[in-house]
Amino acid sequence: MRNIISVFGRSPFVPLQMHMEKVVECVEQIPIIIEVYRQGDCEKVESIAEKISKLEHKADLIKHDIRNSLPRGLFMPVDRSKLLKILSLQDGIANRAEDAAVLLTFKQAKSFGGFDAAFDVFMENCLATFNLSRNIIELLDELLETGFGGMEANKVNELIDKVALKEHEADVSQKELVRLLLANEDRISYGDFFLWTRVIQQVSGIADRSDKLAATIRNTLESR
Amino acid sequence: MEMYLYVIIALAIIFGLYMAWGIGANDVANAMGTSVGSGALTLRRAVIIAAILEFSGAFLAGTHVSETVRKGIVDPAIFANDGLSFMLGMLSALLAAGVWLQIASWKGWPVSTTHSIVGSVVGFGAVYGGINAVHWDKVGQIAASWIISPLLSATISYFIFTFILRAIFYDARPLRSAKKIAPYLVFVVITMLSLTMAFKGLKNLKLDLSLPAAFGVASCVGLVAAIISVWLISKIKSEEDHGESEDKLTDPNVVKSLEKATKHLEKVHSTAPGHMKADISDTLDEVRRLRWESQRRYDFHTNSKEYQQVEKLFIYLQILSACFVAFAHGANDVANAIGPMSAVLSVAMAGGDSIAAKAPVPLWVLALGGIGIVVGLATWGWRVMETIGRKITHLTPTRGFSAEFGAATTIVIATKLGLPISTTHTLVGAVLGVGLARGIGAVNMGTIRDVVVSWVITIPAGAVLAIMFFYGLRMFF
Repeated sequence: MRNIISVFGRSPFVPLQMHMEKVVECVEQIPIIIEVYRQGDCEKVESIAEKISKLEHKADLIKHDIRNSLPRGLFMPVDRSKLLKILSLQDGIANRAEDAAVLLTFKQAKSFGGFDAAFDVFMENCLATFNLSRNIIELLDELLETGFGGMEANKVNELIDKVALKEHEADVSQKELVRLLLANEDRISYGDFFLWTRVIQQVSGIADRSDKLAATIRNTLESR
Repeated sequence: MEMYLYVIIALAIIFGLYMAWGIGANDVANAMGTSVGSGALTLRRAVIIAAILEFSGAFLAGTHVSETVRKGIVDPAIFANDGLSFMLGMLSALLAAGVWLQIASWKGWPVSTTHSIVGSVVGFGAVYGGINAVHWDKVGQIAASWIISPLLSATISYFIFTFILRAIFYDARPLRSAKKIAPYLVFVVITMLSLTMAFKGLKNLKLDLSLPAAFGVASCVGLVAAIISVWLISKIKSEEDHGESEDKLTDPNVVKSLEKATKHLEKVHSTAPGHMKADISDTLDEVRRLRWESQRRYDFHTNSKEYQQVEKLFIYLQILSACFVAFAHGANDVANAIGPMSAVLSVAMAGGDSIAAKAPVPLWVLALGGIGIVVGLATWGWRVMETIGRKITHLTPTRGFSAEFGAATTIVIATKLGLPISTTHTLVGAVLGVGLARGIGAVNMGTIRDVVVSWVITIPAGAVLAIMFFYGLRMFF
């Protein structure tokens, strides 16, 4: 009877979702730090960036734990390499959030008319993409229940399509934002210009990775 | 009868009952543990049902395998002029298997009762009677069945679970198709179960049916059961409709909170350092138990997600498959205790010198084995069942049903062929089969190694111990 219990290894899904929770906490700080940044509160920006750093570190610990203890072999509902890919994409999202926050601590970059509004649209699209992907990770348990197929898989497939659509919207708004930035290159210093482009890159990285995350999960779904 | 024969008979009965007790105490939990865990059965009901089915399995269908252990492994004819040695050999085989199992469970090794008995009988036979005393072809068959049985059960449960996935979970309306398919599954399980009993099974009740006749009877029984299940399933629905008016035993929020608490504790458990882990796992077990109890009451009053309802429906099917496993287990494993015991008894009853190869296993001996298993279940087995039921959280009713069906079918086939196989390993194979069909979050590959190690270690260990006991006993008689 001991044999029967010992058949079951540690399911990787709970730690994976746990890692995602930490990533969510990191990303949730992004709109807050932007808000504070615009108010020019350097100390607060520093403290939030530090908070994101700590959260990212916690996520890293969970990541190492999963990598060290991921069960091997044939009898996994999801391919080991795919699980690791999902994990590293999640990790990448937390890293982008951290990098964006750190960039904001370097310099109080100036803004100009219309930039903040355009940035908000862009950021919202990126975060929406991320939130959709995160929902999919939360559905992993239910996917396991149905053997990665069926009704639940259809639901996830729809979600994945939505992620792709949202990611596209994020791309469009990013183009507009960059165009706006370039049109006003004379009005801001070179340093500010550089900083904004880097921040935009990092935030759009969140959307990119979320999209890839969704695509990876699509690969694990059973085709019928 | 001479005095020493009474002593030998007494010893045989004591050792045999001890083995039967051990089987009931440790292995019956395999069959019913999952049903207790999923909340389909209360512990008390599970124990009662298991007792009935284990006993009837042992009593009605235990003959074939017992015959194999009794005279299929070692040729009694070799001992034709030396009945005493044969009796002592079988006694020492029983004793060796018992002692070895005790050592193994103390050390926590994964060994099987079947393997130790077969190893012991082969050991004493080969050493005392010479290499030719052992039916190597039969032993070869048995050894092959140990490899084939987990593979077969894995294959069956793989296909059953894949079928459930495709037919039910992939359907747009899983509950509706589950309700449609359930009667067919009931038909298959009940037919198989009654076929096992009817075909050469009721010989002990003087009701020996040929295969076509047995098949006819079995499918009639299956059909009746399926029709009853259709009626029961339609009743389930109406219960759900009127569920609102009944008083709720548990506040839904309590269930939800408990669910959250479990999830959080699981997270804590998976990251906590070693010393904390043990404490947390105790708490986790307790919270899980609370959750099940509340969930069980709550479940019948809500319709949350559809496939959770499918699982609820499968709880009842799982009870059926668990009964099937209990029956098959009784039929196959009773031989481990009864085979050697009846070998001793048949020689002793005949006067102790001659070997009556023709005499079948007496009915009362089979009954004795069945009683031993039931007593083991009642005194110790329920405790094991409680623990195993609490720990198998990963096995939802659909998975449990698939695994149990695969295992029981395999065990029944082996029993009909008179092959003593390890029921535990067969069940492990069946669970792995469900894992292969993407049914389980993670499978511990270490168990496969354990199963193989059990084959490799137990047989020589049983053999060596049996030889030692044999020469030890010879000094007294």
